[in-house]
Amino acid sequence: MKGHNPIYGWVGKIARVNLTSREVSIQELDGNLATSYLGGRGFGARWLYDEVGPSVDPLGPENLLIFATGPLTGTKAPTGGRFSVCTKSPLTGTVLDSNSGGKWGVRLKGTGYDALIITGAANAPVWLLVNEDGITLNDADHLWGLDVEATTDSLLDKVSRPELASVACIGPAGEKLVRFAAIINDRTRAAGRGGVGAVMGSKNLKAIVACGSQKPAVADISGLDFAVYESRKAIKQSPVTAVGLPKYGTAGLIRIMNLLGALPTRNFRDCCFEHIDEVSGEALRERLLVKRSACWGCPIGCARVTKTKRGQGEGPEYESLWALGPECGVSDLEAIAEAGYLCNRLGLDTISTGVTIACAMEMVERGIADFAIHFGNAQEMLTAVEDIAYRRGLGNELAEGSRRFAERYGATECAMEVKGMELPAYEPRAMGAQGLGFATSNRGACHLRGNMLGAEMLGIPKMVKRFTFEGRAGLLIYHQHISAVFDSLGMCKFAGLALSDEHLARMLSAVTGIPFTPQSLHIIGERIWNLERLYNLREGFTSKDDALPRRLIEEPLSQGPAKGRRVDLAPMLAEYFRFRGWDSEGVPTREKLRQLGLEDRR
Amino acid sequence: MIEEFQRIGNDLFMSGLVSSHGGNMSVRLGDRLVITRRGSQLGHLAAEDLIETGLYQDDSNIMLASSEVPVHRAIYNNTAALAIIHAHPKTAIALSLSEDEIIPVDVEGSYLLHKVPVVSSEIASGQELAAVVAPSLKQYKIIMVRGHGCFSTGQLLEEAYQWVSCLEESSQVLYYCRTLGAQIKEYRRMADRYRTW
Repeated sequence: MKGHNPIYGWVGKIARVNLTSREVSIQELDGNLATSYLGGRGFGARWLYDEVGPSVDPLGPENLLIFATGPLTGTKAPTGGRFSVCTKSPLTGTVLDSNSGGKWGVRLKGTGYDALIITGAANAPVWLLVNEDGITLNDADHLWGLDVEATTDSLLDKVSRPELASVACIGPAGEKLVRFAAIINDRTRAAGRGGVGAVMGSKNLKAIVACGSQKPAVADISGLDFAVYESRKAIKQSPVTAVGLPKYGTAGLIRIMNLLGALPTRNFRDCCFEHIDEVSGEALRERLLVKRSACWGCPIGCARVTKTKRGQGEGPEYESLWALGPECGVSDLEAIAEAGYLCNRLGLDTISTGVTIACAMEMVERGIADFAIHFGNAQEMLTAVEDIAYRRGLGNELAEGSRRFAERYGATECAMEVKGMELPAYEPRAMGAQGLGFATSNRGACHLRGNMLGAEMLGIPKMVKRFTFEGRAGLLIYHQHISAVFDSLGMCKFAGLALSDEHLARMLSAVTGIPFTPQSLHIIGERIWNLERLYNLREGFTSKDDALPRRLIEEPLSQGPAKGRRVDLAPMLAEYFRFRGWDSEGVPTREKLRQLGLEDRR
Repeated sequence: MIEEFQRIGNDLFMSGLVSSHGGNMSVRLGDRLVITRRGSQLGHLAAEDLIETGLYQDDSNIMLASSEVPVHRAIYNNTAALAIIHAHPKTAIALSLSEDEIIPVDVEGSYLLHKVPVVSSEIASGQELAAVVAPSLKQYKIIMVRGHGCFSTGQLLEEAYQWVSCLEESSQVLYYCRTLGAQIKEYRRMADRYRTW
């Protein structure tokens, strides 16, 4: 790694694979890049900014598809098994990273690469084998059309040590360029949001098999042991990470959010679901749970292996259960779980899938269109999921995402999206600043870019008055930065429900031998956030795109504890820009960019 | 906002963590901060005791703000803190006169604080104090100034208050243990490592 020798934490090499020319080149990781952006999402933001400009079609060969691990990926850091997929989004046109767990990131790093940068497009389907000997391109004609399960089975049959191999692939949805297609690794883990699977499909890249078992070197082993010991202790002492998530999975949130009147229902027209007992985390546990499951290195284990009368798989987790359940008015838990299995097999983002279907359901209910898709009809919802993945009939239109779909019918008010990305499972009218988070998220509506769930609903770090807006922008910004850090370190944000920035800094310092402080991590998070903002501004986005669906601004909630409330976005947004050191149009000031070392990128 | 200042201020005073006119608190609002008035009583705060001024620049409100506003500014400019409490926890102050770091031995202090460094500054306010406090808070959420008091940071005032309260409790436990004079039976598997946090 340039600028740092010996190398700890990172492995020091980046592989570039040009699918057009079928060339592979290896470059040294730049030490300054590593310490300024960490890895994962941070690397992605930097490479996208430098190499993917406004003229690049997200589904064209010039777009990059980046798979990047972080310095804690593959280490003892609890939940340190994650990686990011970064690209220009075909759903939103924004900068995009989508983060995933499982073990694929660990296997990739184990081959001796911190990241893979895929460029170009193959003229026929290919799959990549990445191992400690190098990278090879292989014909994937026989895999094209297969779902995730069959693709994974087929590829694991081809490697000599399948126990050390991990497959990341697309399903039919990615092949068909569904704008919210996911990349699925380890059969059930999704880099879900924003259409990374469609970009992979556009490159004729069916799968990447990573087979590596090297461990990253650690600079201070006893220091890491202590930092990990303290981190695991914190995870073990939090009722959220020690009991709630392990026992009920993320689905344990469903009942809480419903009780607080914050569970969007039937395309965000209601905020409480009348059949909550049928779809709760408790119901999931009692009726469908086979066993718990966990990503690599995770002591929390929020994943669920479940079984219905007709199928078996993983999930549904909170967002999927909501999107394919209450959001569509569906209360049939087995059907919801099966829709989740389908999304995993076909390679679809469950949130965008459910919310786009709900958009169509509302259009039918309001008489705007006459599709065979209705709130509460589980079978129609299941059919729609499959039709989207294969772009059949109405599914072909839904595959464009709710914004494009609703625009086609002149019904933009039915599309619950920001910058083209569908909203996740939090009713902004029932929370103080969650709506501000959705509006300002750099990849479109997203709870993973700075979630107010902790402070406004769970009391982490402390419970704040959830209907108060004043000063809340500061708290949101804090969480936006630390979320960027989690995504760049290779750790899961759920660990953040128990760990502080001190834990992260101590683990990172011990692993890399470089003295990171909590403050230096926040600055890195801010740098990543601002660079992503610069990317979007260069693409033509403006402060007008930092918006929310009109419904959330104009229509008061009609039920629940937040009855009568709307989102007063404008003053929050003005405060947010000021707190960030941006001008009134949401453009980072020269001084802010100078502070972050980004002055040459504007 | 005043309710939060009143709640925490009253608790600080009633817990003996500040004297009648001691201590100060602030929250950050982007490029502004709201800080308690110079000479205000944290146990009896009113709306006019909250003074808003610039984070980077003075304005006339500076005449009303706590004299420790330079320290608060330096902390906000060097950390991600959104709230700061300066308090005078008595036992921690006593320990700071003989220690370079306070390392809790109780469960909660070990878990929440791990280690609290002690820094020195003869001047009780201004740039000189800011120069020793702010750098330390880049690494630690709460630090002690020898013989003076603590500066505690958090995302919220309540969080900063928790560290102050926890520090004083841990310091009392250390004091009692030393007074008793008995050898501590160690229960923490990696007890020797807290010094390295």
